[in-house]
Amino acid sequence: MTFRQFAYRNVTRNKRKYAAYFVVSAFSVMIFFVCALFIYHPDISKSLVYSTAAHTMMAAEAIIYVFCSLFVLVSVGSFLQSRKMEFGILLMHGMTKRQLNMMVFLENMMIGTSAILTGTLLGLILGKLFLMIGSTFLGIPLLTFHLPWQALVLTICSFALLFILISLSTFFFIGNESLMRLFQGERKAEEEPKVSLVLSILSALLLLTGYFMAATAQAASVEKVMFPVVVITVAGTYLFYTQLSIYTVKLLKTIRRLYWNHTNIITLSGLSYRWKENARMFFMVTIVSAVSFTSVGVFASIHTLSRELKLDYPAAVGYVAKGNQLQDPFDQHLDEIKEELTTLGLPYETLSIPIKYAEVESQTGPDRTLKLPLIAYSDYKLALLRAGFTTDEQPLSRDEGLVMIGSQRDRSLQAGRVKPVYTLKQGLSIREMGYTQHVPIAEYLLPELDGRDGGDFSGVVISDELYKAIHPVQTDLYTGFYMDDFPQTVGIAADLAHKGKRSYENNSPYAIVVSGTLFEIQRTLYNTMLFASLLVGTVFFIAAGSFLYFRLYTDLDHDRHQYSTLSKMGLTDQELNRIVTIQLSLLFFVPVGVAILHSVFAFIALQRLFYLSIAVETGAVLLGYLAVQGLYFFFIRSRYLRNLKKNLI
Amino acid sequence: MPILDVHNLSKIYEGKVSTQALNHIRFSVEKGEFVGIMGPSGSGKTTLLNTIATIDQPTSGQILINERDPNLLSRKEKALFRRHELGFVFQHFNLLDTLTVEENIVLPLTLAGVHVTEMESRLKEVASMLDIEHLLQKRTYEISGGQMQRTAIARAMIHRPALILADEPTGNLDSKASGEVMNMLTEVNKEEGATVLMVTHDAVAASFCNRVIFIKDGRFYSEMYRGSSRGAFFQSIIDMLSLLGGTSHDLSAIRL
Repeated sequence: MTFRQFAYRNVTRNKRKYAAYFVVSAFSVMIFFVCALFIYHPDISKSLVYSTAAHTMMAAEAIIYVFCSLFVLVSVGSFLQSRKMEFGILLMHGMTKRQLNMMVFLENMMIGTSAILTGTLLGLILGKLFLMIGSTFLGIPLLTFHLPWQALVLTICSFALLFILISLSTFFFIGNESLMRLFQGERKAEEEPKVSLVLSILSALLLLTGYFMAATAQAASVEKVMFPVVVITVAGTYLFYTQLSIYTVKLLKTIRRLYWNHTNIITLSGLSYRWKENARMFFMVTIVSAVSFTSVGVFASIHTLSRELKLDYPAAVGYVAKGNQLQDPFDQHLDEIKEELTTLGLPYETLSIPIKYAEVESQTGPDRTLKLPLIAYSDYKLALLRAGFTTDEQPLSRDEGLVMIGSQRDRSLQAGRVKPVYTLKQGLSIREMGYTQHVPIAEYLLPELDGRDGGDFSGVVISDELYKAIHPVQTDLYTGFYMDDFPQTVGIAADLAHKGKRSYENNSPYAIVVSGTLFEIQRTLYNTMLFASLLVGTVFFIAAGSFLYFRLYTDLDHDRHQYSTLSKMGLTDQELNRIVTIQLSLLFFVPVGVAILHSVFAFIALQRLFYLSIAVETGAVLLGYLAVQGLYFFFIRSRYLRNLKKNLI
Repeated sequence: MPILDVHNLSKIYEGKVSTQALNHIRFSVEKGEFVGIMGPSGSGKTTLLNTIATIDQPTSGQILINERDPNLLSRKEKALFRRHELGFVFQHFNLLDTLTVEENIVLPLTLAGVHVTEMESRLKEVASMLDIEHLLQKRTYEISGGQMQRTAIARAMIHRPALILADEPTGNLDSKASGEVMNMLTEVNKEEGATVLMVTHDAVAASFCNRVIFIKDGRFYSEMYRGSSRGAFFQSIIDMLSLLGGTSHDLSAIRL
């Protein structure tokens, strides 16, 4: 037996212990590989519209990679911990420290190599399936199987690097403990976990603050509070697992009526030990699942977003010719668009609205608008009519003005905005009295109000009399092409509009919005994100479950011994099942539960950004996750119970 | 009426080579007796104890504990039977390391669903008897072997079982701790009137019993009652062991 054979046999004869670790590594490699197949697929990488999808996938790759390295690092650490006794025996028989390091390095490299090979092979086999699923998801023509060399090289190189680095880092894990300590093994003292009341209270406070801030965030402030809320919640979650939950169990233990009641004593005491051991893992699982729930939930709401899109783009194609410019390119542009629509056989109606810009002398409120875009009330009505919107708004009189919303999203921002009174240079004044119910002119086509780039409201509708009296500093002409089937306009006016739009802020003589192209880009982007977060979510999910299983397996000997004592003392099978089920279900579902709670609050905050409700879609996603987790729980539970009962009387 | 009645008990281990571990053993133990079972390695002591403990099924014969045959019970009823009627003391103590000393002691009562005040009063009782009151809040890894075994004895007797079964209780202890533990066991037997059946290799430990049963190759070999002097009893046990062919210092393998 050579040294290498020895290391090899160590691995192959310890299959069960290494199984969880191997499965997760191979699975990550596989997902990584199919994502790479996707990214480097010629149909994807060459297409302009889908290249955003490829970027999203790239992000998914990075997340998988980072997570996989963390997972492998943590698993290797606890592996070595569980093998101390074995190392002690080897060292006692004269193995040098150098040889021991070499052995562990070789073992890890063997597992790593086989995981890379298995993962890539599985990826090759399942690649076509994934491409099919992917293309269905994105709603693009079926992708043919194609093996780009970049995908292969990227996967193999990055994971080889990962495993080499991790294997090298094992040297630090092994450390320099004395033989005596190695022999005492990993479980010499199950010390009562140390917790402090202050930190536990702090954890509760942090979580409550985070939730409160998320729940009360206003649409305008969501982006501002997002970062602090995330930091607070993450910190709170960490303390929840390492302090609060253990402290709670400790408190429960002091209530003897509860603790000294039937099997509670065994369930609770075993739980607190196991909890402490897994606290960091739980923390990771919770955060990661909360993130993936939230993202999947948001992306599953894509249908909601597309309904919104119809409301946001009243005209399938909108075009604004800026004033103060020469006239000719505009007619030419409009002719081009008309020609294209006719070629496509799309029936359309057009509507032109002049937009006057008035110079503002002063305005009340904190913001400062220099040039105020104005349209007449009759034109506004006409625009709504063409778009098929109905409204019960009363005609305006005197100095009243209605602010045009640029998209339905803006409605949630209305509450936080001060309605100013504008005094124009020519002496007239305009008083904002409310907001339009619908979007008359799509966003990007008008400059934003309040003098802010990326501000949200577009302009003001005023009464026809007032409109006539305005001396404009500039007059733009809006032309809308109205039709029913707006997604058909994808790719129209591609040379005028880069990726579907040219916004007003651009220094070009015109602004244009092609809703079909925008819709297509948004749809593929969201779908890719959904697809990617589902993939990443699966990797996390498998990893978390496997890690738990691995931990259980490490402790199996100890547990078996304990339960065999208990069963001699008269613990019935039913009671044993109950203890194990309660413990395992807490281990499985508490992190998921906390993650769901986190994401519910995230959704509450996000809900303010979306005008339409995303509760149904979100609920479906969360239920799906719970169902799968339930299945996984039953699988692990039955395996664990079977192993546990093997040597029982 | 005997507490334990073992009637023509035989146990054959099936397998490629079937072995007869017990061969028509019969004896009975009266209430309040302290009985030792001795024999060389492989004589079937542990098998005998396991069958009495309802952990193992006899091939033929009958065991009656309190006039009930536990082998007629279902698996669940058997567990409940052990919980109420039997107490266990193991060679390796088998305390649960996630529990404190007092929690380990009250474990049989909590499993049986006894009221907390009742548990606390009984805990006080047995703890003072076994002199472990100062250890109650400690964890199992903080106390010595002798203290662990005393805790185990407290656990075995707190629910006042019909029969306490002890398997090599001194097997993992030094001589001083062994002496202490055996004294405690004798005290439990005398003061509480607990019936104790103990398997041991240790002639010193056996000399604490009222009666010692010797078995060899699965058969009943002889039986000895203790007179007034423990010293004389110890001497006759040693003599009997040499007759049996085992040595008095025969080391036991790990059992149970």
